Amino acid sequence: MDLRAGDSWGMLACLCTVLWHLPAVPALNRTGDPGPGPSIQKTYDLTRYLEHQLRSLAGTYLNYLGPPFNEPDFNPPRLGAETLPRATVNLEVWRSLNDKLRLTQNYEAYSHLLCYLRGLNRQAATAELRRSLAHFCTSLQGLLGSIAGVMAALGYPLPQPLPGTEPTWSPDPAHSDFLQKMDDFWLLKELQTWLWRSAKDFNRLKKKMQPPAAAVTLHLEAHGF
Amino acid sequence: MAVFAVFQTTFLLALLSWRTYQSEALSEPLPLTPESLKVSINSTQQCLHLQWSVHSLAYHQELKMVFQIEISRFNTSNVIWVENYSTTVKWKQVLHWNWESELPLECATHFVRIRSMVDNARIPEPRSWSSWSSWEEVDERNSLGHGALFVFPKDKLVEEGSSVTICSISRSYQNNVSCLLEGVQMRGEQLDPNVSAFHLNNVPFIRETGTNIFCTTGRGDGTGTVLFVSKVLEEPRDFSCETPDFKTLHCTWDPGSDTGLPKRQPSQSYTLFESFSGKKILCEHKNWCNWQVAQDSQEMYNFTLTTENYLRKRGVNILFNLTHRVRPMTPFNVVFKNISDTNATMTWQVHSIGNYSTLFCQIELHGEGKVIQHNVSIKVNGNYLLSELEPDTQYMAQVRCGDANHFWKWSEWIGKNFSTLEAAPSEAPDVWRNVKSEPGYQTVTLFWKPLSKSHANEKILFYNVVIENLDEPSKLQLHSIPAPANGTKLTLDQCSYQIHVTANNSVGTSPASVIVVSGDTGNKVEEERVNVTEDGFSMSWKPQPGDVTGYVVEWCDHPRDLPCDLQWEKLGPNTTSTVISSDAFIPGVRYNFRIYGISTKRIAYLLEQKTGYSQELAPSDNPQVVMSNLTSHSFTLSWKDYSTESQPGFIRGYHVYLKSKEGECHPGFEKAILPDDSVSCKYKIYNPEQKTFVVENLQPESFYEFFVTPYTSVGEGPLDAFTKVTTPDEHSHLLIRIILPTVFCVLLIMIICYLNSQWMKEKCYPDIPDPYKSSVLSLIKSKENPRLTIMSVKDCIPDAIEVINKPEGSKIQFLGSRNSLTDTEITQPAYLYLLPTEKNSSGPGPCICFENFTYNQAASNSGCCGHVPVPPEAPSQLGLLTSPENLLKVLENNYMNSLGEIPAGETTLNYVSQLVLPLSRDKDSLQTDPPVPALCSEYKMQMAIPLGLASPPPNEKSSVSSVTLLDQGEPHH
Repeated sequence: MDLRAGDSWGMLACLCTVLWHLPAVPALNRTGDPGPGPSIQKTYDLTRYLEHQLRSLAGTYLNYLGPPFNEPDFNPPRLGAETLPRATVNLEVWRSLNDKLRLTQNYEAYSHLLCYLRGLNRQAATAELRRSLAHFCTSLQGLLGSIAGVMAALGYPLPQPLPGTEPTWSPDPAHSDFLQKMDDFWLLKELQTWLWRSAKDFNRLKKKMQPPAAAVTLHLEAHGF
Repeated sequence: MAVFAVFQTTFLLALLSWRTYQSEALSEPLPLTPESLKVSINSTQQCLHLQWSVHSLAYHQELKMVFQIEISRFNTSNVIWVENYSTTVKWKQVLHWNWESELPLECATHFVRIRSMVDNARIPEPRSWSSWSSWEEVDERNSLGHGALFVFPKDKLVEEGSSVTICSISRSYQNNVSCLLEGVQMRGEQLDPNVSAFHLNNVPFIRETGTNIFCTTGRGDGTGTVLFVSKVLEEPRDFSCETPDFKTLHCTWDPGSDTGLPKRQPSQSYTLFESFSGKKILCEHKNWCNWQVAQDSQEMYNFTLTTENYLRKRGVNILFNLTHRVRPMTPFNVVFKNISDTNATMTWQVHSIGNYSTLFCQIELHGEGKVIQHNVSIKVNGNYLLSELEPDTQYMAQVRCGDANHFWKWSEWIGKNFSTLEAAPSEAPDVWRNVKSEPGYQTVTLFWKPLSKSHANEKILFYNVVIENLDEPSKLQLHSIPAPANGTKLTLDQCSYQIHVTANNSVGTSPASVIVVSGDTGNKVEEERVNVTEDGFSMSWKPQPGDVTGYVVEWCDHPRDLPCDLQWEKLGPNTTSTVISSDAFIPGVRYNFRIYGISTKRIAYLLEQKTGYSQELAPSDNPQVVMSNLTSHSFTLSWKDYSTESQPGFIRGYHVYLKSKEGECHPGFEKAILPDDSVSCKYKIYNPEQKTFVVENLQPESFYEFFVTPYTSVGEGPLDAFTKVTTPDEHSHLLIRIILPTVFCVLLIMIICYLNSQWMKEKCYPDIPDPYKSSVLSLIKSKENPRLTIMSVKDCIPDAIEVINKPEGSKIQFLGSRNSLTDTEITQPAYLYLLPTEKNSSGPGPCICFENFTYNQAASNSGCCGHVPVPPEAPSQLGLLTSPENLLKVLENNYMNSLGEIPAGETTLNYVSQLVLPLSRDKDSLQTDPPVPALCSEYKMQMAIPLGLASPPPNEKSSVSSVTLLDQGEPHH
């Protein structure tokens, strides 16, 4: 094969281009099976997005309830909100959680919270509020699916709800409207706390599942494109 | 049988007597005590519900009774309510009574007891009460549950403006409960160690989700309640019903505020009830409802519209005859037929409202910015001829109908657009002309006004101008001018021409407008001033004796511009006055009006010319004034270039202002105060054409200021700067008359003298004869006597110089220097031997020196003729002075030092005398041979030394210490 000077320059340019775009080629951007890393990253990103979205929604909803629920330092007793899954946990306990338990707790919490949130949506009086709540429910459904995806990638089974224990967020006839408002308040607050916790959970998982350093470098470069 | 009869009689008597006893017993007060009292709480209604019975009543007995009920709170002695309840009591009847508590019943223990009294008119007063029942206690607090803090009432619904009492129950005595209403702390009342009450008056509607009340003990616990405040239910307004077709009644109303609260109370409901038929329907909409008209030809209807919510019920009523409430449905199928340029037929259909009903319809025609209404009565189908329309115009026609028999309301409008057809222009264009006659030809500028839309009938496409030579009728010229031009310029010869102008659109041609121009330039008339009124320029003219078909007034809207926007107004033959007004007229602009008469031959001839201002203004500028003929007593001012025509008002004259130092005004002037508050003398010139003014009676050598400004009826021109002038000396002109000729004469003489200088020289001071050039010499030479010669001065060798020292001149004082020569005073005559006395005595004889005290000049480079005062101690000075450079240098030094101390050694320069320089020697040679006398018989060079520097003043007695080159002969001066 007769290679002339012009041809060799062309090949060199071609090679450079290929090398330049190498990180962008998905098949080459992996050191093998990507594992659950990307899914965890996506889930982490989703929690941050939902956290931001909820901040706006909660502001609107608490204004709809009126003072003192929309006051920043309002902290009523939980009373009727005891059934809500608690996000707060002892730090040592949280650290000692294994991946399966960590993911299962997240999955179960959001399953419950989603049901409660749908109930909240049904009670909302204004159409705009219902629209916002429905949008958030859809996003939360997406987060639930994302967590399920991570669990599946790690080979963990999804927790099965016990038959007849589907949580509902319908007003208790014995409940006064004020207590119902307090429950709504706590639902939004607990949801916010869960999203904070989930961000930490998935960040921890993300670090744990991080591939070797070389691959990370390549990955970061790929972000540049 | 008799026994039976006796027994029967006895029985009947006994029965009668029992009945009698019984009736007697009833006539007395009976102790009918209320029994079985039960008290319950309805938390939602905040009501105490009481029920009891009166057991002592006989079978089927009915008694009117009064029950007195006492209610105590917290303890039996604290009676808060006493009420008498009257009712008719039946046998075995259970009685009920409700009491609504202001304080939520959950917050306090309540005690209730009751007693009764028979309220029978047959029983005389005083009647007596039964004994009280025992106290019944109601306490909901025991069933509240395990909470530490409770707030009541729960989810209470009230109307806006109501008063509400909130109470809180704390389980602990130590708890100090504070409650917040929408974040604002409320002031409470402690009813009990555990119970606080908060009274709210005139509660407002804040939001549909209720007003939040949150109570806390400040120990991490807290609860609250929501007070649902509903807006007050309003009575429906503007309730009315109408039918479009006698089949349905459409009832409408204004519902007012919605009182619905999503979680507590639905929106108010509306019910329609018709009393004649007894029918009732629940309306689905909050502001309208449809009622089906019955087929039984019911004419009268009595409707009651009722609205209610949980708190209130309201109703309104209307009564009407159905035939008086007919509002036809909107007409339909509107069509325009037979559309021409000025007419169109509008047709429409209406929905039937009955077999014999007549409808009254209204048609509105919108077009050309106007609205025209027409009315017409129809049965089923309507049609109407719209006439007198404008051609080629878009119109919108709409129709609505009402019941003609019992008009109630109009139907909705229904409308449609249509356009009329096009037509030829209906009117000749309004044409006017401007003729400028030049030698041999005339320029005719035609102007025409665009036709109004009503006359144009369509867009004008072009104008035809036909020029007919009246002198040669066969000659026709056609010019087609495309629209939107509003004029054209024609160049014609001096013949008479008839010009026809027509406007043309796509359909046809307008009638022609005809004017005639002739080569005649017309007469000239004098310009008059025109009157101005509020309406405009009012002008009138004399009626013309001959046949006049009309008049035309012509003017320019913008006379300062070019083109000036020529305007005209055509008037009838009987009109001899008009008022011209235009939005273009502005104050301060002169408008010229020309009034033409139009002859039967359509020739326009100028009748009058008028000029005026819509509003005169003060002059905007002042004339450029030229001053001339300035004498010691007068000067002349002129401003001939100032145009009175182009001013913002008619110039009526001028004001001449004059200021003088004296401040006195000359005759004819009057004192005036200027806008800048300065005082001046003013002279008024009343003739605007007088543009010169002689200011007289002035003082010689005096300073004056003047200023000229024109004035109109409004005022004078702006105050400008005054021009300054100073009158000359009274005798200066005499001086000029004498001096000038004298100077001239002197000059003349000088010129003559100059021209004859040679002659003068020869006559007055002939040249000193040069012995070398003497004719004698030649004579001698010619006689061949070579030994005979003329003694040359250079051959003289002085053998001694005597310096004469005069005692009185021992001091030399210089002007500008107070240094005396005391130190350098020469006390004895000194002899300076310029040549070796004995040894060099064989030199030439003494030199001839000239001394001139008038001109202290020196040319010391001759070395021999300088009167050199020689200080004894500085003989070498002589050598230094031998070159002209050195001399000049010294002179400069002297001059420079004249203000300061002059060195003693340099004083010698004061006595440099005139001397003769040899023509043939240069300074170098002089330096090399200083002592040699040069030719001394000639004046060759004179150097002026500043007088003050070089020579002492003549009046001073300082005689010089001179150095004289002595000679045997007398010196020549």
